[in-house]
Amino acid sequence: MADLSHAQPDRTGTLRQFAREYRAARRQRWGNLWGYAFIAPALTLYLIFNVWPIFRGLAMAFTDYRYLVPGSEWAWNGASNYQEMFTNDSQFWPSFGISVQYTLMSFPTNLILSLAVALLISRIRNSFLAGTYRVIAYLPVILPISVALLLWNQLYNTQFGYFNLILQNVFGVQSPPNWLGDPGWALPSVAVAGLWKDFGANTLLFLVGIYGISREIYEAASIDGAGALQQIWSITLPLLRPIFVLIIVLNAGILGATEQALIMTNGGPQNATLTLGLYIYQQAFQFGDLRLGYAAAMSLLLGLIHMGLAGITFRVLRTERI
Amino acid sequence: MCAVSLDSSRTSQRALRPPKFAQITFNLLLLATSFVILVPLIWAISSSFKGPDELYQAVPSLIPFQPTLANYEYMFEHLASFPIYMTNSFIVAFGTVFLVVLLSSLAGYAFARMEFRGRDLIFVFLILLLFVPRSGGLMALYELMAFLHLRNSLVGLILLFSAGLSTPVFIMRQTYLSMPRELEDAARIDGAGWLDVFRYVAVPLGIAGMVVVAIFTFVGVWGDFLVTLTMIDQDRWLTISVGIRKLLTTGTVSPFFAGSQFTGKFATYGTDCALLLTSALPAVVIYIALQRWFVRGLTEGILKL
Repeated sequence: MADLSHAQPDRTGTLRQFAREYRAARRQRWGNLWGYAFIAPALTLYLIFNVWPIFRGLAMAFTDYRYLVPGSEWAWNGASNYQEMFTNDSQFWPSFGISVQYTLMSFPTNLILSLAVALLISRIRNSFLAGTYRVIAYLPVILPISVALLLWNQLYNTQFGYFNLILQNVFGVQSPPNWLGDPGWALPSVAVAGLWKDFGANTLLFLVGIYGISREIYEAASIDGAGALQQIWSITLPLLRPIFVLIIVLNAGILGATEQALIMTNGGPQNATLTLGLYIYQQAFQFGDLRLGYAAAMSLLLGLIHMGLAGITFRVLRTERI
Repeated sequence: MCAVSLDSSRTSQRALRPPKFAQITFNLLLLATSFVILVPLIWAISSSFKGPDELYQAVPSLIPFQPTLANYEYMFEHLASFPIYMTNSFIVAFGTVFLVVLLSSLAGYAFARMEFRGRDLIFVFLILLLFVPRSGGLMALYELMAFLHLRNSLVGLILLFSAGLSTPVFIMRQTYLSMPRELEDAARIDGAGWLDVFRYVAVPLGIAGMVVVAIFTFVGVWGDFLVTLTMIDQDRWLTISVGIRKLLTTGTVSPFFAGSQFTGKFATYGTDCALLLTSALPAVVIYIALQRWFVRGLTEGILKL
């Protein structure tokens, strides 16, 4: 507050003086008001479309909201969504299993592949070549996901798909697999397509991390007689730990993969690729009463698992000293 | 020996001198990997230039021997929805990029250079939700958009996509934090208001960051599938990312018929490939043209995290 203990009666504009000092003091507390003006549009949009849905989704998970049943928006039903999900839903656990399988099929392979490629690229001296490899590796990531997956559908086609034609006519395989139509092959096929699409992103992240490691460490290790492989094991990998954390945190959402199953096989054949993400989508937007509440409950479960995995990663990979 | 060399790689190369053999091996491995990565695309490109005779040969070659533009002609002449979908995609993509760049620059600048109460708290709040996965997911969004009458509208999509501001604001704030203060101070001393400072100082200096934000936003929006699929069910407003499914199959997605039906004697899987490639082209072009900024943007974003 303005210090008024020495105020003198002033013939000219006491009130104005006081007002000015008051405003100045208040402005000091709030700072630059333009700041609020500058962030307001961004914040508004963010609050409406990002923040609100999180809370609404949280609430929705405990209601029996069915879009086709008017008035059910706030029909609280406690934890009965979860009760139904775990005990009364014949598709939930199979779908959950499929999602887990899918994750186990793609994520470790993704990590290893992208790390290997990143290490290779980082060793290339010629910067033009290295740049080209980077562009190529990241290219599938740039493609719209529907384009990438539909392209693989074409490749997997049993009549004119490139794979089967090569297998049949070049390698003489009598009956090549029905990649997307055989329940045993479907999920791995989808996983491979998803892997192709996604691994470039991790490659680039690893590269960023590797480029950030100063050359002097490697030089010192070289002088001490460490071979290339040992250098990778003892220097590169430990120093890449923050990148590992980032990648795992960013990729943990693969448990909820939806597009791959939706676009390539729509859950078939015989529900072999009905991942949990797709099942949720179907429940919410395709079948029956459009049970947004139930779907939100399943989605919340996935979200919690995602956060749990991220949290575990943080704990395990962060607290160890290098 | 030169005292200072900016090309540190060369000096340390001389110090380490790995055998040339290793370089060749690495290059070969990477060439093979690149080929494997690119095979689907190469196959698609060559198929799109093949006529029906070549397409259905027993042993497909990766190079068309009788290239033809028939597939592309078919695409442009017979598929009425195709230009509609592409236009929608462009509108949504450019609209979103414009809005995101504008909003994130303003906010990023404010967070970097202005002092106001609660500034850091609000910033953390903005970034934090990046790590909180959407628990209600699309369901809550669906309800919200329906309530706001923003479903089935391009404007709705633009607003929705533009709300993903955590990363853009982060990037812009980083950009402005590393900007020298002299120009702004000079402008302020000369009596410029904050809006003028922004317009004449912050915007020109922040262009690099804005390009990075623009690239990531464009590519992300162009390729979005699930959100668009949920929000739009009228054919008129579909983007190419969702619409291409309709163009390829006969309406329902079935693994057994994924590919093309013979709608006329000219529609083949070559046409499908032409469609797929053209749909992806804008994103790919933007990426390759501005590739330098991609890596830089990622580097700055991640190493500063």
